[in-house]
Order: sequence, then C-alpha cells, then structure tokens
Amino acid sequence: MVSPEMQKLAEERAARMQAARELKEPDRVPFTGLGGDVIAAYAGITAYEYQFDFEKSRAAVLKWLKDFPSDSAMIGAGGLDCLPLAVAFSDFPDLAGGFMVVNGPMNDILKMKFARFPGRELDENSSPQFIGRSNMDPSEYDELIANPQKFAYEKILPRLSDNFKDLNSPLALATMARAGLERVRQGAEMAKTMAAIAELGYPFGPAGGLSYAPLDFIGDHLRDIPNTVLDLRRYPDKVKAATESILEVLFKLATANPNVASVGFPLHLNEYLSPELYKEFYWPTLKEFVLRLAEKGIKSSMFCEGWHDPHLETLLELPAGWGTAMFEKTDVRKAKKVLQGHTVVQGGIDVGVVISGTPAQIDEYIKQLLDDMMPGGGFILGANVGNLPRNTPIENIAAVYEAVEKYGKY
Amino acid sequence: MREQLLKSFVDMDEQEAVKIARELVETDGGAVAVLDTCKEAMEEVGRLFEAGEYFLSELIAAGDMFNQIMEFTLPKLQGEEVASLGTMVLGTVQGDVHNIGKDIFKVMAEASGINVIDIGIDVPHEKFVEAIKEHKPELVGMCCLITLGVDSMKRTIEVIKEAGLRDDIKIIIGGGRVSQAVMEHVGADAWADDAARGVRLSKELLGKE
Repeated sequence: MVSPEMQKLAEERAARMQAARELKEPDRVPFTGLGGDVIAAYAGITAYEYQFDFEKSRAAVLKWLKDFPSDSAMIGAGGLDCLPLAVAFSDFPDLAGGFMVVNGPMNDILKMKFARFPGRELDENSSPQFIGRSNMDPSEYDELIANPQKFAYEKILPRLSDNFKDLNSPLALATMARAGLERVRQGAEMAKTMAAIAELGYPFGPAGGLSYAPLDFIGDHLRDIPNTVLDLRRYPDKVKAATESILEVLFKLATANPNVASVGFPLHLNEYLSPELYKEFYWPTLKEFVLRLAEKGIKSSMFCEGWHDPHLETLLELPAGWGTAMFEKTDVRKAKKVLQGHTVVQGGIDVGVVISGTPAQIDEYIKQLLDDMMPGGGFILGANVGNLPRNTPIENIAAVYEAVEKYGKY
Repeated sequence: MREQLLKSFVDMDEQEAVKIARELVETDGGAVAVLDTCKEAMEEVGRLFEAGEYFLSELIAAGDMFNQIMEFTLPKLQGEEVASLGTMVLGTVQGDVHNIGKDIFKVMAEASGINVIDIGIDVPHEKFVEAIKEHKPELVGMCCLITLGVDSMKRTIEVIKEAGLRDDIKIIIGGGRVSQAVMEHVGADAWADDAARGVRLSKELLGKE
C-alpha cells in the first residue's frame, strides 16, 4: 500500500515533471536521477545478477531510489532494442509490443546474435551491449520496401537467431511459445517492482512506448551502420523508399496500445550525417512520425545521441510542444537558446564529470548548470548518458543529488 | 590523373575514384602515385571533418574507398619502401565489444602512415601488455564506446604501469565518451572523440606534426 504521505510526494513529483513538459517553470527543477551499472555495484551484486535475478535487481533498484531520491524512477536493468521481432509480429499488437526490447533472461530463449549480456557472452560485470551486424544484402531493398513486416519475419528473423533459421521447425515455434511464457513471468515481476517503487513515492505516468527513426531501423538492424551510410550514396532512392515503408509499420506498432501517451526515439545515425544527408534521408520520415503521433495527442521524446548541433534547427519544424529532446554531447545551454518555448530540453549532467570530478567540483558544476538552465522552465535535469559505470565514486553521486537539492529551487 | 583521383576521392565520387585508381595503378610508377594520392585525399577528408564540413558518414565512405583502392594497389607495391611514421597498438578495452569507431580510426591512421597493430575488441588488460612487449610500439590507442570503458581504460593503464612499460609509450584514448577529464582520470597522454582528431594527435605524439 502507498501511504498518503508517499502518495502526496508522488503527486508533487509528477506535477514537477508535467510542468516542465508543458514548457513551464515548476517548483523545483525536475531531476530524472542517475543510474546504470553503478546501481548493481552499490547493492553489492554483479551486473549479471542485476540483469538475470529479478529479486536481487528489485532490491538493488529500491535501495538506490531510497538513498538517491529523484523525480522519476527506473524500473530495472533494462535491455536491448529488438525491433525486428516486433515488426515481424506487427499484425498482432497484443504480442508485438512485448518484444521490442530483449533482456538477459529473454535472450536466453531468443538467442539474438546482436545481444551481449553480462555473465553470458560478456564478463559478469560488463554492461549489456548491442552489436550491429549486416543482416540484409542491398539487392533485397525492393523486398523490404514491398512489405517490411513480411521481410522482417521471413528474411531477417532467421538471420537474427539460429532458433528461427527454419521458421517451420518445432524449435522456432517452441522459441516463440517460451518467449510468450517468459513475457508473462516478467510482466508479473515488473508489476511487483512498480508497486514497491510506488510505495517510495514515485509516480508512474501513462504508458510510454519506444520506436526508431526509420533510417535507424535500417542502420541498427538491417544493414549495420557503416553499410547504411554507404548505401545512402550507392542506392539513394531505394533507401528513401525503404524509410517510407518502414515508417508505416513502425507507426502502427507505436500506436498499437491505445493508452500510449508518449513515444521515445533513441537517435543513432544523427551524428553520422551531414545536414544535407540528414534532411534528405533521416529527418523526413522521423518528422512525419512525430507529426502523426502529435495528431493523436501523443508526445515524443528524442534522445539525440552524440553531437546533434548541426541538426538542432530542424526540431523547430515541429509544432511547439511536440515533446522533449535529450542531449548527449550537444551543450544543453546552446540547445535551450534555440528551442526555448518550443521543445523541452533534457540532460545536462556530463557523466564524465561525475566519474572523474571531486565533490566540490561537482557542486560548482551543478550550480552553474542550473543557473544557466532553469530560468524560463522547460528543462528536465538528467545525465547525458543513462549509464554510470560500477566504479563511479558514491561520494560524487551524492554530491550531484545534494547540489540539486541546494540549487534546484525556482 | 592524380589531380582527378584526388578530386573525385575528396568529393566522395566512389565510382570515379576507383576507376581512375585502377587505370593509374597500371602505369609506370602508378602504384606509388595512387598510394600517395589516396593518403593525401584521406588527410584532406580528415581536415574537412575537423572543419565541420564533413561528418562521420564521409569518414566511413572515405575509409571504404581507401580500402577498396588499396586492395588492388598494395600488391603492386611489393618490394617498395613504404615509409612509416611509427607503430601503434590499437584495441577496444576489456568489457566493451564495439568496433565501428576503432575501425574508422584505424583506416585513417594507416592512411596517415602509422603502422597499426589492431588487437581487437574486449581486449584484456594483459593482452595490451603482451602486445606492447611484442610489437614495441611508440603509441598505444585505447577505444571505448560505453561508459564502462572508462574504468577499463584506467585499469589497463595501471597494468601497463605495473609491467614497467608506461614510460616507453604514449597513450591516446578515443571514443564517444572520453574527454579531457576522462583522460586525466585514467592517466592517458591524449584524448579524441573523433577519428580525425585522433589521427592528428597521434601524429603529434609521434613528433611528426
């Protein structure tokens, strides 16, 4: 049961986030908190246990959220994008949504070749990693364009996992059946974790989804990143047509859950492309995606990985209030100047500083950041990358939270 | 022809650049001319990248062209004296299995005349030590993409120190999440978060610029 006191805290936190998302000034700067591999280390467990043992990872997350309170909660160790599987089953929205992300125990069943998990392919204290590989020949673009769902099922799935090599085999059917059972088991575990987190006064907003810019789907899952950027010069028309086809199926997936209120897009190829290539191949279908979601009242958030500076202005082509842009290397001060009153800016804390600074330096760093970023609202404080490594000094993390407490009041 | 090769390469005209190189390589002294011109073109591409005119996709395309052309050019250079600026041992540190950044850097470093010994991804600390003993490089390059790599780089450099090899080499770290602060934290000599800067600083560390 959530106590009235914790209920009130959750409402305050939710209101704080909401105000920032409406581009206003809340009572305090909303802070997403820090996290990542360090959560497991802080609880004295391995990255392997954090990924595979739900009892232990739940205890680790709860200890972290109790000792380092913030305005939103992470739920568990997370996983790796597995969009081709969801696309393959996109005609079955009740199933597909559950297979967008694969975590360690799920991958024990699916055996996806792109996945590397601690205690499996990697050392027990390593981070889960996605390793792109080329799963498609450029001669297959026409097939992809004609029907991305069919192509994902018939051609890509068998190449992603040997369990699906023969789609008519008992192994392939048994793998999907086991994945379904595992999904149910994990759903129950997740509900338990969320209930425990709610008791700590953390709010859970309406459902959020995950999707991809169509060109990133090609880059991450079909052709790999280097081949995709070469394809832009070698087969420009095919790539463009493919992104348009993929948009349709990804949009269908993103809106399959009628309760979804927001969709997150991790951007990957943005940093690789010149403004010309970005505007020709990447942005048109991503923009269309966000506009269609906005028409349905769904907000978007983009995690602009790497340097997004050359593409910042393109965000202004979206209607004001479309959503949130999170930045990794792009200076949030610069982003805010361009996007003030139009786009919520999220991020700001360079994890490099948290890893290698002193508590005094961090205090000063956060103070300056908040001085520059809070005025005018529309800012959510968070790390520039979601993952603090295991050996991050705990006193540095504490220094971040103390500084936010000290300087974060409007 | 050299001028045309240089221009088409730098302008990212893959078909034209490969075609000219194929013709040029068959002429007397052509292989050396192709090699020198492609090196010059790669340097120009790196310069355009650092100037903000070119992006990662151009570095990848240039690296791909360079590799394509070298495939038919290098066999014709057998017996020729190819000057080297120095040797570098290069690897992605333990725990990190990413290779895209390392591979972009590698081809640009090779094109600049650095002899690169690539020891792969997820490289254990001790393997760096063994490679340093075996190849006696002037430079060691460590890459990482994920933040975990920062811990790993620090530990690798400690192990190199413990083996008594730190003073013999310069260390440059590279990858999306490194910075001046990370460089000081792990105890490296230089840092780069892009390949072009990485090659420029590597040449500086070798005393060649």
